[in-house]
Amino acid sequence: MDTSNPTVFVNAELLGRYVGRKVRAVIQVIRNDGAAVIGKSTDEKQITVKGLPPSQLTTFVEVIGIADGQNSIAADKWTNFGDNFDIFTYNKLCQLANGEYQHLFL
Amino acid sequence: MMFSSSQFDGFVPSQSTQTADSASPNPSKSWGTQGLIPVTVKQLSEAHQSGDEKSNFSIDGVDVTNVTLVGMVSEKTERVTDVSFALDDGTGRVECRRWLNESSDTKEMEEIHDGLYVRLVGHLRSSQGKKQLVAFAVRPVTNFDEVTFHFIDCIHQHLQKCRVKGDANAHSQMEDFSTSTPMRNISNGSQISGQLSVDGLKGSDQKVLEFLQQNYAQEKGVHRDEIAQQLKIPVNKIMESIRTLEEEGLIYSTIDEYHYKSTTDA
Repeated sequence: MDTSNPTVFVNAELLGRYVGRKVRAVIQVIRNDGAAVIGKSTDEKQITVKGLPPSQLTTFVEVIGIADGQNSIAADKWTNFGDNFDIFTYNKLCQLANGEYQHLFL
Repeated sequence: MMFSSSQFDGFVPSQSTQTADSASPNPSKSWGTQGLIPVTVKQLSEAHQSGDEKSNFSIDGVDVTNVTLVGMVSEKTERVTDVSFALDDGTGRVECRRWLNESSDTKEMEEIHDGLYVRLVGHLRSSQGKKQLVAFAVRPVTNFDEVTFHFIDCIHQHLQKCRVKGDANAHSQMEDFSTSTPMRNISNGSQISGQLSVDGLKGSDQKVLEFLQQNYAQEKGVHRDEIAQQLKIPVNKIMESIRTLEEEGLIYSTIDEYHYKSTTDA
């Protein structure tokens, strides 16, 4: 069992706090130009995700990678989360997982 | 809903069980011995081994038998009698093993591949000093709200156990939590809180009780108007609290219906 390298649940607001660390975020795809995807975070702000997206992207995608800026992630894992996803609840989860219940996650 | 926690027996206790548990001397003992607890790998890593048996662990003071996790599969290795893989849920990675006893087991595992998000149900074991999961069921996640749900469920279960232990801080967090998130299971928290013993009192009830406990020395009790004045709470709210506390047997009226005294000292 290894908990030495956890992936932090982030939205745009939390992303800046974890620059340089492994993070995960769900974004709504706005634009995909092959090298980077521009997406809307679960707290409705713009995030840039660099890397190689899979050929088919659904409306919502979870990206896992290193936070490399206040609003960008260098992603190495992309998971299609489908066209229907509850971003409100996910956003709440980000806040809780980084707030008072952080000890259950990090 | 396929991933509703109420599917599992004994998973979320009914309100009557909750009250009985909080009154008994060891409220947490009867908890997790049946049923299924959602956990993060981080929680598993902190589980304490209870007793000498290699398969008895406890999390948040509760014995843990079966756990459920949601995470991503990696390092899947197929062998003749079993399949092993690592499960990474973002909080950590844990080694898992699925024994292939029947053809349905093999069929189930054929669907699982690296990079897939799965829901796992299993049992925590210690083998050669390392914690491992023996998986009973592994199923691909198809609706990704399940991922969000699972982690919220972990937080919810954690809070329930904290409250049973009499942690007042966790209780107040639970109330804030239940009003701010829309999920059905969690909103039960605010209903349960009004019926618990001392540890589950609402804020104003707690204040009135503490005030009366502090004034225990006053033989004739304290007039309800004075309570209202001292605590700066409106009289009608004080009366509600007084009714609740009286019903619980924590306070009683003395010289007249306006004077109250606590049954216990501060």
